[in-house]
Amino acid sequence: MKGETMTTTDAPTASDEMESLAAQLRMPYTLTPGWATGIFLAELGRHRLIGSRHGDTISVPAQDFSGTSGEPTEGLVEVAPVGALQGFTTTADGTLGLVLIDGTDIPMIHRLLDFDSETLQIGARVEAVWSDKPVGSMLDLAGFALASSSESFSPRAVPGDLLPPVLQVDYSMTLDYQHAYGPYYGTLFNAVKYDRRLRGVTCTKCARVLLPPRAMCDVCFAPTSQWVDIDAVGTVQASSIVHIEFIGQRMKPPYVYSEIVLDGTSTRLIHMIGDVDAEDAKTAATPGARVRAVWSDRRTGSLTDIDYFKLIP
Amino acid sequence: MTETLLRHTAVLNSAHTLLTPSWSDRQHIDLISEAVTRALKGTSLGINDIDFVIDSGSDFLDGRSISNCGFLGAMGAHHKEESRVEEDGLWSLMYGANKIASGAASVGLIIAYSKPSESDVDAFWTSLLEPFIQRPVGLDQRSAAGLYAQRYLAAAGLGADDLRSVSEHAWAAAARNAGVDVSELPTDDAFWNDDFATPLRRSDLSRPVDGAVAILISNAEVAASATSRPIWITGMGSAIDQHFLAAREPDTFPACEVAAKSAYRMAGGIGPADIDLAEVSATSTVGELMVLEAVGLAEKHHGIDLYRDPDQSRINPSGGALPADPIMATGLVRLHEAASRLGGRPGVEATDARTALVHGAGGFGMQNHCVITLEVNS
Amino acid sequence: MSIAIVGTGQTVHARRRTDVSQAGLAREAVIEALADAGLTMDDIDSVIVASGPAMFGAVNQPEKWLVDALGARYKPLVRVTSGGGTGLAGALAAINQINGGSARRVLVVAYDKLSEGALQASISTLYDPFWGREFAVGIMGFAAAYWHARIEKLGHTEEAAALVAVKNRRQAMANPKAHVRREVTVDEVMASRPLCWPIKLLDVPPISDGACAVIFAAGGDAEAITDRPAWIHGMTYYSEADNGADRSMLQSEPLQIAAAKVYKQAGITNPFRQFDVAEVQEPYTCFELSYYEGLGLCPEGGAAELIESGETAMGGSLPVNPSGGCMGANPIGATALIRLAEAAMQVTGKAGDHQVVGAERALVQAGGGWANLRGVAAVGAEKR
Repeated sequence: MKGETMTTTDAPTASDEMESLAAQLRMPYTLTPGWATGIFLAELGRHRLIGSRHGDTISVPAQDFSGTSGEPTEGLVEVAPVGALQGFTTTADGTLGLVLIDGTDIPMIHRLLDFDSETLQIGARVEAVWSDKPVGSMLDLAGFALASSSESFSPRAVPGDLLPPVLQVDYSMTLDYQHAYGPYYGTLFNAVKYDRRLRGVTCTKCARVLLPPRAMCDVCFAPTSQWVDIDAVGTVQASSIVHIEFIGQRMKPPYVYSEIVLDGTSTRLIHMIGDVDAEDAKTAATPGARVRAVWSDRRTGSLTDIDYFKLIP
Repeated sequence: MTETLLRHTAVLNSAHTLLTPSWSDRQHIDLISEAVTRALKGTSLGINDIDFVIDSGSDFLDGRSISNCGFLGAMGAHHKEESRVEEDGLWSLMYGANKIASGAASVGLIIAYSKPSESDVDAFWTSLLEPFIQRPVGLDQRSAAGLYAQRYLAAAGLGADDLRSVSEHAWAAAARNAGVDVSELPTDDAFWNDDFATPLRRSDLSRPVDGAVAILISNAEVAASATSRPIWITGMGSAIDQHFLAAREPDTFPACEVAAKSAYRMAGGIGPADIDLAEVSATSTVGELMVLEAVGLAEKHHGIDLYRDPDQSRINPSGGALPADPIMATGLVRLHEAASRLGGRPGVEATDARTALVHGAGGFGMQNHCVITLEVNS
Repeated sequence: MSIAIVGTGQTVHARRRTDVSQAGLAREAVIEALADAGLTMDDIDSVIVASGPAMFGAVNQPEKWLVDALGARYKPLVRVTSGGGTGLAGALAAINQINGGSARRVLVVAYDKLSEGALQASISTLYDPFWGREFAVGIMGFAAAYWHARIEKLGHTEEAAALVAVKNRRQAMANPKAHVRREVTVDEVMASRPLCWPIKLLDVPPISDGACAVIFAAGGDAEAITDRPAWIHGMTYYSEADNGADRSMLQSEPLQIAAAKVYKQAGITNPFRQFDVAEVQEPYTCFELSYYEGLGLCPEGGAAELIESGETAMGGSLPVNPSGGCMGANPIGATALIRLAEAAMQVTGKAGDHQVVGAERALVQAGGGWANLRGVAAVGAEKR
């Protein structure tokens, strides 16, 4: 039966144990705040609040552009690290306040610290709480607490020793997902995991076999129906030899990236060709080459259950 | 009512999947193709009659970049003109209606979907914030709603308990709506009474759900042959507010007001008094009141009056977004709900409404607003 | 309805712009475009932001942040995103707004600030998490693989692609906005380090921070705004299912479909003869060869011969990428709109040192995703 397909007609059944695939996207960033906000962030380490002038409005944190007009700021001012509470809300993660710094016109939102929630009131005087270990980020201002004195001052010219802007803020973003297998990937990867079988579906209109299986044929927008067992043998449609290394890479180069059309199917399976030298692969693992899956000892219910595809001499 | 420019574009049919907290056994493409198939069903049109597809979804929610790229087949978009609008689907509808009004195409398919159950919804909302000032302090969608609510309630002279009539109406209507996965009013005491983002309770915040919606639109010529009851798009408007939440108005949505005025103007100078039925989107009860006030259906700070009658069916007869918020698709679902009622489709309660206003929102703290007006021939 | 481009602007593209935020970068291009058109934001009815995948920059729906720097409060503003071709997809959205009667003057701004993120890791998330993502090298492994196939089947040799690198990098020398201005030789390209063979270091454009803005206006407005409008003769953007049956990708079918539609709109029957200049978006050198065939500038399998003939270089009968193309600067989300802006500059005689003398009709190509999103536009000095 090698190279041929076998058809079955059982309906898809999603496995209980393979409901979702965990995926995490975790990426590092270096983000530039711009001139005015960069100076605001830099000066927090010195326990100074820098605002920006926009016409007769003063905004703190300092902004490069007015959200009202889009015009660039006309200059920076230093404002007192005290103000009045205009509003607040408490969630499971803490309390955030809307704080209007003295002499400014647009409130800022920040954490409220060390207060008695029973007595917290709109209009309360609050003062900045500074972080002990400034790193050049917004949290160098840890938040606001009820003011301990009545000291304040009107917005004034920025000090002569103003720091240059923070040029980059390091940032890391982690996004976690649980991707549903759905009935089609579920059926396919159950078969991969338990039976070492690949399974596609047939379009009811064009009769082509689609792998991965799916409810609708992309080209015809007609439903698919018949399930087909597919031998893990096919032809390389396209291949390249990966040398580049990059942050977040999952495979160790060099490896042969490959898009393979398995016999009897008409779609591409993305994998790698192994057991071949990177230089030899230029001529050996070329489009048109015949390959066969080498199954792994792992049983994860994913394409990594195939270690690699091997060239058929 | 006068013939207007956009009387040239009609909603032919629409459909959505069940809106449910988790479609754990279906992928995005399964939901999308189901919605598209159902929107086509019962019309004389097939996939080959569709000239273009405009779709809304979110790379962040989907966990993949250029996510439309992987869903094109399920959308029926293969070898068609296609564009992704990364905003609520109502903006995609606006794109499609313009394309048809221009004469460049006859039939369009508008799609929106989401599966928030696959990701961390809080992370989705906070990722909308600029990362230097607002994001680090822990501002999130819940606290944003709480900050709006505290100021709105104070200005309107209301208490948090007053908001219960808004969410009760929403959940009761949703329980009657076969398209939403809720069978009865929630009875959980904590849901109605425990602080969630003070002064709001859990019942004041919208519930994220999975689902997909597809809308079939066409020019007048196709509409004349394809349906006996075309629903005309008569007006459209949208407007965005500034980004920093603290800099926006504390208790109104001026951008929503601008969007509504644009739509009314385009519809030939109609106003809120001409609207028989409204379907609006909001991520909180207070947000819903502020939208209703901004579009002119209630006076400022008096949106709550619309809910004095628990049986009213003019505002969000579907239940609105509070019980079912398929982020990125919420506004387009509103359009489907309004069109279903204007069209007298089976499965929805009968109405003599002839005009409708549909509203969608996007961004953190409802920064962006879109308003569409619809009309059906009497 | 006739629509024209009445103003264009670009930032100075660079590897890393630490003097401006993402929002500030986009604003720079907008200020230049408004100045070019002699307009202010008050004259703009609607704004469309186009940028690459939001994971490039850690800000989801970044247009919501940009609105402040653009001065767009209370205006219609929406983002269209379509991978590398997003700038042209944004332009098409603007055309539809104007043609549909929703707006008369629309600003499109496209940008990416690629220095801020992890580019290849971000692009790798294009892949289905169930289907090959672990093997992804951004889109480079894929692009190289199908170039390998085209080497075998269509003769798009490494040397032919190296000629694209040599040509575009030379042409970038005359573009003051280009990020990389350094000439290379065929031998240098061939000897450069393989990244994903057959793609080598010098087949790859730079990674850039940059933005571009273009202002569109309805016919009457356009003529009132400027005495040199660049008229849109045609524009479209097509898609192809990424893993549909029998997708060989030797030729790009969505590109062929898009080109045929635009040529019909623009009255073009022989693109190689009728266009005076072309701007194409080549994320790798090999793609420019493929576009020659997809756009019908030469027969299938004729691309190597065409680049070797020199006819697509400055001074040839159809110069391609006088700006230097992506090889001069590649802020991905802006790249497609830059192609359109450059085309408009050519047909209005504003291209300065990289002007194709007497250019009246320009061809634009852009695209993204799995090489499955493909747009084409035609721009001309003559109103039609």
